[in-house]
Amino acid sequence: MITFQQQIEFFNIVGKELNEKVECVAIGGNAMMFYGFKKLTKDVDLVFTNREDLNKVKKALYDSGFEEKTNIKIFKNYEVIDTKPIMMEGKETRFDLFCKEIICFKMSDSIINRVKESHEFGNFIIKVVSPEDIILLKSATERIKDREDALEIIKNYNVNWKVIIEEALHQTELDKPLFVVFLYEFLLELKEDFKADVPDNVLKELLKMSKKEMVKRFKKKKIVK
Amino acid sequence: MDILELAKKIEGLQTASTVSKILNVNKNTAINYISLLRKNGYVKETSYGSRKIRMYKISTLKKEDYGNPGFYEILDKNSKVKIYSLYEKDKIYGKELSIEEAIIRAVKTEEFRVILASLGLFAKVKNWVKLSDYANKENIGRKVGALYDVARIIIKLKRIDKRTRNKLLNSQVKNKFIIQKIKSKDLKGIEKIWNVYIPFNKSDLEAYKE
Repeated sequence: MITFQQQIEFFNIVGKELNEKVECVAIGGNAMMFYGFKKLTKDVDLVFTNREDLNKVKKALYDSGFEEKTNIKIFKNYEVIDTKPIMMEGKETRFDLFCKEIICFKMSDSIINRVKESHEFGNFIIKVVSPEDIILLKSATERIKDREDALEIIKNYNVNWKVIIEEALHQTELDKPLFVVFLYEFLLELKEDFKADVPDNVLKELLKMSKKEMVKRFKKKKIVK
Repeated sequence: MDILELAKKIEGLQTASTVSKILNVNKNTAINYISLLRKNGYVKETSYGSRKIRMYKISTLKKEDYGNPGFYEILDKNSKVKIYSLYEKDKIYGKELSIEEAIIRAVKTEEFRVILASLGLFAKVKNWVKLSDYANKENIGRKVGALYDVARIIIKLKRIDKRTRNKLLNSQVKNKFIIQKIKSKDLKGIEKIWNVYIPFNKSDLEAYKE
């Protein structure tokens, strides 16, 4: 676990190791720390728009004493996912480096356009996704701590639910049809089990979209058979 | 009323009058509420609109100060021409971005409004040699020199010493356009001196007189 201050120190180290400017997007608990939603985080999740930049940061982390790990399973069905992150483990924390995709979720232009903060650590520039997008990304995993994180955001922030619905729709257009189903289940669970303040009309809309996607998928399978 | 709920209710840019309307309270109570929100870190900034009416930016994201002001924050703080920042928070760590560096960054964006706003930064330059060195390193020396002359039309500026001016004048630039394919109609004199194309007309500079 690392604190916000420790996270900044790590970013500063990477920034010094890099010879050219590299930009990436912070998405997980580390992004929540920038907004003050969280005090500690276990791992630092970063998304890159190209493999070259990811490799530069991977090398910078390696040169700073981090080691690549391949035997860590960070979510269910991890083996079948073909967009696995590069995991660089240090003494106190782990950096998960993603390229364009995060499990069943694509880093879309609309997410980049909604970025709220920019933090520059020498040559390392970290953009922080909006709180709405953190919730969306949390729904892509099945870890209990991700549910707790999302709940924390909903409690403390005026969530723009329109953004959530629009991005879910956008993800289906980006060939990620199942995302909306995961999101619906995630928010429903948050509402029912964690008593989160998720508006009913949002769930209704997501259910409608999920049904539509499932029917599409079912029809496709039938045609293939 | 719970402070967080209060912040959620009136999130965004507000004046005392709009807060009083939204909450259906009188203006004094509205000001008290704003003060309460400020104490709890929900008022991110206070600015002045036309006729010096105070405007408050209220956000449920608690304000926390860390890092040094980034490019957009410096531009916004030091120039009369305001730009719409891409980010709500723009910070730089491990160093402070100087005015000289901010001018170079502005020119490199090749964005009209950003470069226009950067003209205001010339009034805050403390070290012309540093500015010239940064500019020449990025191969934009003549562009920076030309923008300095443009800024002098509308702002009272300190004179660049002759040696630094000559250094800028004799510098190399990769291409003559400050913004691609845009030339000035009425600042031809400055364009001729510096042998670069200025993206502004005199009317654009009126923004500094408003």
